[in-house]
Amino acid sequence: MIETNLHGQMAEAAITAASVPILELRGLEKRYGATHALKPANLSFARGEIHAIVGENGAGKSTLIKLLTGVITRTSGEVFWEGQPVGLATPHEAIEFGINAVHQEVVLCRHLTVAANMFLGDEDVGFGLLRKGEMTRRAQAILDDLGFQLPAHVLLGDLTIGQQQLIATARAAIRGTRFLIFDEPTAYLTRTEAAQLFALIGRLKERGVTIVYISHRLEEVFELSDRVSILRDGTLVGTRVTSETNETELISLMINRSLEQIYHKEFFPAGEVLLEAKNLSGPGFHDVSLSVRAGQIVGLYGLIGAGRSEFVMSLFGRQHKTGGGILWQGKEVDIRSERQAMDLGIALAPESRRDQGLCINLPVGFNLNLPIFSHITMAGLVPFSADRQRADRQIADLQVKTSGRGALVSSLSGGNQQKIVIGKWLNHGARLFIFDEPTVGVDVGTKAEIYRLLARLLAEGAGIILISSYLPEVYELADELHVFRRGEDIARHAYHTASHEEILSEAIGV
Amino acid sequence: MSTDTKTATVVRKSSANWMFGLTLIGLLLAMCIVLSLTTKSFLTEANIMNLMRQGSMIAILAVGETFVIITTGIDLSVGAVVGFCTVIAAWLLTHDFSITTTIIVTLAVGVAIGMFHGFGIVQMGLPPFIITLATLTSLRGIGLLVTNGATINIVNDTFTEFSRNDFVGLPNLFWMVILVGIPAYIFLHHSRYGRYIFAVGSNMEAARLSGVNVKLTVYLAYTLSSTCAAFVGLLLAARIGVGNAMQADGWELQAIASSVIGGTSLFGAIGSVHGPLIGAFILATINNGANLLNVNSFWQRIITGLLIILIVYFDQLRRRRG
Repeated sequence: MIETNLHGQMAEAAITAASVPILELRGLEKRYGATHALKPANLSFARGEIHAIVGENGAGKSTLIKLLTGVITRTSGEVFWEGQPVGLATPHEAIEFGINAVHQEVVLCRHLTVAANMFLGDEDVGFGLLRKGEMTRRAQAILDDLGFQLPAHVLLGDLTIGQQQLIATARAAIRGTRFLIFDEPTAYLTRTEAAQLFALIGRLKERGVTIVYISHRLEEVFELSDRVSILRDGTLVGTRVTSETNETELISLMINRSLEQIYHKEFFPAGEVLLEAKNLSGPGFHDVSLSVRAGQIVGLYGLIGAGRSEFVMSLFGRQHKTGGGILWQGKEVDIRSERQAMDLGIALAPESRRDQGLCINLPVGFNLNLPIFSHITMAGLVPFSADRQRADRQIADLQVKTSGRGALVSSLSGGNQQKIVIGKWLNHGARLFIFDEPTVGVDVGTKAEIYRLLARLLAEGAGIILISSYLPEVYELADELHVFRRGEDIARHAYHTASHEEILSEAIGV
Repeated sequence: MSTDTKTATVVRKSSANWMFGLTLIGLLLAMCIVLSLTTKSFLTEANIMNLMRQGSMIAILAVGETFVIITTGIDLSVGAVVGFCTVIAAWLLTHDFSITTTIIVTLAVGVAIGMFHGFGIVQMGLPPFIITLATLTSLRGIGLLVTNGATINIVNDTFTEFSRNDFVGLPNLFWMVILVGIPAYIFLHHSRYGRYIFAVGSNMEAARLSGVNVKLTVYLAYTLSSTCAAFVGLLLAARIGVGNAMQADGWELQAIASSVIGGTSLFGAIGSVHGPLIGAFILATINNGANLLNVNSFWQRIITGLLIILIVYFDQLRRRRG
């Protein structure tokens, strides 16, 4: 049945002329509260083209994918499928049209076989029983046909992530897909696997499938795509025919932005060296050396997955280093636990509010005081007054918009939640503050408050490590900027000594 | 997402917590009133004292169980620990150890079992369900092995009288609930580690990154649970005057039920000390009332099951709205 689908598709593709775009967006827009995730965008996808979409982290690429696959609903604008206006309000509707997405993380069942995954939800049934042998045989035929040298009878979990990605692609390919979105598909692939994937993409294109290809790797964009669209800060800034553009133009389009004047930068004389990492290696990063002085911000820029978070988690004792050393105020230290790092004077506001930063179903005051319960405990008990005073003072200092310290954190907006993630460390007396993506999903007003807070910490003699995937942020704030790529610290620049283009090129690796 | 609506939501949530506690007490009182009117024997001194004794032991178990459930864990072993500890206590007393020694050693056994659970969960990485299930069956086995399946009679009047006597008009057993309940309340709501228990149950990673010793907190929760169970073992041994490894069969489920009826969330981070206490006495009243009304004892189990579904369902509704 599925094979007939493939052939039917090819026939259909031949009949319908490529004149009408398969999918057209008119004024497509998405807002999350005050955040404008995607500003009105007009874009049309031609039948059978490979259309690349590039942009920095947070430029709106994932918002666009979610809109196209019906995962989220648009705020305004129109979508036309083969010239007809469509709602595209649910994932089911998108799949009915033949719109599928292959995600960076494989969303399949690791405990089922490859064949079972390929036919999941569309099993071959005879007399109410699964025809497993038949399905395995057909799955193997499809895999062989695609040129993947992968067995269909093994468990999906036994394959590498890259191979799983290929299976996910094959699964999408046999499902009557007419519009297939790839989100950073090569992030975990080896060269051979990537080559297999590109071959598959080529075959899908021949069958008239429209491909949307999202990648940070510009060389892939030039190798594969017919056209390329550039997103920047939620705005679709342009579409180019790939053969008529070059890397320099793409990069300048990706970063050419009018700088919002919200960055608050004060300069302080560099004080003593607080922390020094010497050839530090660990899971996800390799041979990183840097030092942080009092009164200074050290910025870490890179793409997501470049090893920055892993590096700071190692400084904070969450993950153990595998090589190199750490000096704290000139003395060699071996940080084995978070508590030890905190006692030295290190504070870390982690990347993910929900997963790492907050106890979301507990009150605001509880979250703010969690790191300091050990300080304010007297005779084994937490004095009610100290608990209350500190929480109230923090809420007032940070201007957290909440009904009070007893309100649950889940009732707060993203920006206010982020203030708590940061604020809970301010009472702790730390000397080195590590902020991992402190302004993600935060409105402009709160961002400005956070930047002023950084300056205040520096004035008090603290040092800061600032991780951000948003280049202007680290560029404007960091006294020393390190660029990470694939786990390595590949470049360092003093304040404003390199251009945005140079830094982004280093991070992408063109 | 305006501030006004948020404020309103929050106010309702915190008042709803009090409402929930009051509703439980209201339910308990309503049942008592109905039973007083429909039966002659409910509102008699003997019956009320008996009810308090019945409820007390489950109440103490439920408090210990609640610590564990707040960390998103579960302790299935408490019933078995109670049975095992009756054997320990009886054995010590029949071998001429003093009552003080017996109490200390039995509680120490409870601590050791709890530490073992902590070890299994933290060091060996076993799911709490599995490690405590394993202890449940093994402890019954060890108890039977030690006694050769026999029952040890306790011949020590000072010890056995304790559970039968009263103090200032209330059964001693009920005083024990207060003895456990007040420190438990202070610990859970006013001490650092009490808060860590909530933090671990809410978000283990956030707690760890905030400097909370997650491992120690887990050890603590299971140790408290097993120690409460060992304490109940002592009380039960005194009440029935024997040590028998098969005693307290199914009490772990009654303890979990009491805790859940009392508002503890099996998803962690939500719970109190007073809730499970009231929950335990609601269960005891149901059983007592069903006996007095001559309801088939098999029905009691069914009623308990339905009540759990009902109360937890309404609690979920309340949370979803909030």
